[in-house]
Amino acid sequence: MAAQSWLHIPTDSHFSLSNIPFGIITTPDSQVPHPAVAIGTYALDLAVFTENNGFSGLPEFQAHLSVFSQETLNAFAALGQTVHRAVRRYLQSVLTEGSPHAALLQSNSGLRQKVLFPLGDIHNHLPMQIGDYTDFYAGKHHAVNVGTLFRDPKIALQPNYTHLPVGYHGRASSVVVTGTPLVRPSGQILDNPAADPKVPIFSPSRRLDIELELAAFVCKCNKLGAPVPITDAHEAIFGIVLMNDWSARDIQAWEYVPLGPFGSKNFQTTISPWVILADAMAPFMAKGLENESSLLPYLQEKKVDNMYDLELQVNLTSKQSNTKCKGAIQQTITKTTSRNLVWSFPQMLTHHTVTGCPMHVGDLLGSGTISGLDASERGSLLEQTSGGKVSMKLNGGEERKFLEDGDTITMTGWCGESGALVGFGDCTGTILPAVSL
Amino acid sequence: MAPPGSWLSIPANSHFSLANIPFGIITSKHSQAEKRPAVAIGDHVLDLKAFATENGFSGLPSLKESLEVFSQPTLNAFAALGQPIHREVRKYLQDVFSEATSHPQILKDNTALQKAALLPKHETKTHLPMQIGDYTDFFAGINHAFNVGTMFRGPANALQANYTHLPVGYHGRASTVVVSGTRIRRPNGQTLLDPTADPKVPSFEPCRRLDIELELGCFLCSSNPLGEPVPIKKAHESIFGFVLMNDWSARDIQTWEYVPLGPFNAKNFGTSISAWVVLPDALDGFRAPKLKNETSILPYLKEDREDSVYDIKLEVDLTTPDGATTTISRTSGANLLWSFPQMIAHHSVGGCAMQTGDLLGSGTISGKGETDLGSMLEMNQAGKREIMLAGMDVRKFLKDGDTVTIRGVCGGEEGALVGFGECVGTIESAVVFTS
Repeated sequence: MAAQSWLHIPTDSHFSLSNIPFGIITTPDSQVPHPAVAIGTYALDLAVFTENNGFSGLPEFQAHLSVFSQETLNAFAALGQTVHRAVRRYLQSVLTEGSPHAALLQSNSGLRQKVLFPLGDIHNHLPMQIGDYTDFYAGKHHAVNVGTLFRDPKIALQPNYTHLPVGYHGRASSVVVTGTPLVRPSGQILDNPAADPKVPIFSPSRRLDIELELAAFVCKCNKLGAPVPITDAHEAIFGIVLMNDWSARDIQAWEYVPLGPFGSKNFQTTISPWVILADAMAPFMAKGLENESSLLPYLQEKKVDNMYDLELQVNLTSKQSNTKCKGAIQQTITKTTSRNLVWSFPQMLTHHTVTGCPMHVGDLLGSGTISGLDASERGSLLEQTSGGKVSMKLNGGEERKFLEDGDTITMTGWCGESGALVGFGDCTGTILPAVSL
Repeated sequence: MAPPGSWLSIPANSHFSLANIPFGIITSKHSQAEKRPAVAIGDHVLDLKAFATENGFSGLPSLKESLEVFSQPTLNAFAALGQPIHREVRKYLQDVFSEATSHPQILKDNTALQKAALLPKHETKTHLPMQIGDYTDFFAGINHAFNVGTMFRGPANALQANYTHLPVGYHGRASTVVVSGTRIRRPNGQTLLDPTADPKVPSFEPCRRLDIELELGCFLCSSNPLGEPVPIKKAHESIFGFVLMNDWSARDIQTWEYVPLGPFNAKNFGTSISAWVVLPDALDGFRAPKLKNETSILPYLKEDREDSVYDIKLEVDLTTPDGATTTISRTSGANLLWSFPQMIAHHSVGGCAMQTGDLLGSGTISGKGETDLGSMLEMNQAGKREIMLAGMDVRKFLKDGDTVTIRGVCGGEEGALVGFGECVGTIESAVVFTS
């Protein structure tokens, strides 16, 4: 995109004019959470913008202005993709040098002062009210890596894996916004997994892990008993965020047969704060991983480039480097791409509703851990350490198998060219010691 | 304990005797759009919004600042006030309806308020009683777990090693919890028509093994912050009340999908609950010991009392499209290895945030015999046996048009029954997919 903003936007900003992601913030002027978009190093306060006639140049939106005085983005999302697109493009225009709408804000210093806040001055909140959260398992390389840890590589994947997007219902109350500290969970673990009989102990988790995922918010409801066909499913996607599906591997190993992961997941799930709209991702779609199986018709997507094409990165900052160094050293432990998925979000949504399950605006779908083929592309520490057997070596001499108290994990992701990046900002969390019961 | 008689005519065998006072959400014939709180009493419903607005609670001054909870479309605000308030309100309403009420002017002698607030049940409709943030289903019916495990692994390996150490559970889909009376659509999904084939290739079909699961549901009335577990000693204080639950299940969809992440589409097409939330105080006289756990459990799960489940007489009826009804199961709600306080303590032990309005399912409740089973999978022994119905009809799994009715009641004393009413669902035929 050749257009420039009249605002100075650093070329490496995730929040270029090409993005315009939506979030929920509080500001020094208002402690009630309300909508905003991110632009460069600023948040543009949509509640104040709306109150001050900011949308006067978009007549078709006049009937809907109240959505920007809500405490979540649910009302805005419910308006549908056509409206999201119009509002996003209008805001791009307002922020673009020389555009017909630029004067609204560019030459109105009073309004600029009221609506533009440096990102460091605001707090982010959960962008949506989440009725249900589902986590899928569409990262095929991750599934193979993990399957190989427990089984013969030839049968690493279960027979169902390539036929349906395997998923499980998650805990909506566990989803928190970036920056929320993570208290190490305690639970039942096997001190000696090889012992017979198996007798668990109660302990803080010793195998606290990350899971690098994308997550999509839903913007369209379907009724109970009314599945969403694959041809319509893409219209139900509001936008995407990054997700860290923190996992306690020792709690998981003991509890998960036969009903799936539970306490190993429901203590916390962190998401990035700024929702990148489906519209912003439209130029950045690509083919995902090959699926050798022949798909049943209800899952067949016409679109070949049905995956988001983002660079994803995970950094670890240890407490030691936090305290020893001026400016903590963030060490990159994973770099991969979101093309490493075998199922798209429309396919996940279609499969999820095929039984008649209702989706609601604000529902969250996780992609599953994203890993590449290379050792540098592993989306979880479980894979990086070959099941906790091989330590990762950090800069400064430290070693890690799993997370230690004081560690900070920062996930980030972006697409596009310098000066026109479309990115998430950061999805972070710092580990706090376990509580004693 | 013989309860006081009521000035209101209450049938002797009503589930909603003066000993009960369960809470729900209604609309009425003359106010169809407005969902509001109510209690069930005999063949009547007391509209709590109308009652509160017309000073029905003037005899309970402690409630004066909180009356707006009775204008809400769900019971969440009332539940969040906590057990001491629930207790007071329930006792007050029992008194208001007593023949020897200490507040005759409130309702007994107040024909105007009776007209406004005391509605015949058949003029009202029930709705989901709470806004459910999260729904979790447990697996605490050990006889069910043993029966099902035996089908797949034989009796020696029926239960997984973890079963007696922790209350096994999985997150369910909150959006598919519906109130009794909601029609349940047979789901379509991927199934293996020939499970023995190799390689396994699924086909897309209407579910052919549609099943029920007889469960109890528990609603929560308090929230713990993320990172702060609910200790076992306090867990019972988080309980608002109980309902009946039918965790409809698609067994063929389940078999193909559930490894390794658990049941998903097999469950998320519908979960029915009864409409009236029975408070723990109403069930207190019907406590029973949990099933014995031979395993020594970890301290965070140890309760002070063993009688933390309830001897609720549960029945399951199947009515065919012809109208013939057969009781296919009779069992007790005490057939659980784990109690709801234990489930709450375990659920939150890693720091998981529980919230007012959350729903917990007990897991399928079965006895040890053949006529006290909680699922058709057990009754038909994994599809091998037919279930004999009245009128010479048979079933293995549910057919379109079948209606399943779950009933639950405590006590045998006429005029003092504490029951749940019914949890009903009728199966509708599957959506037809045209490729």
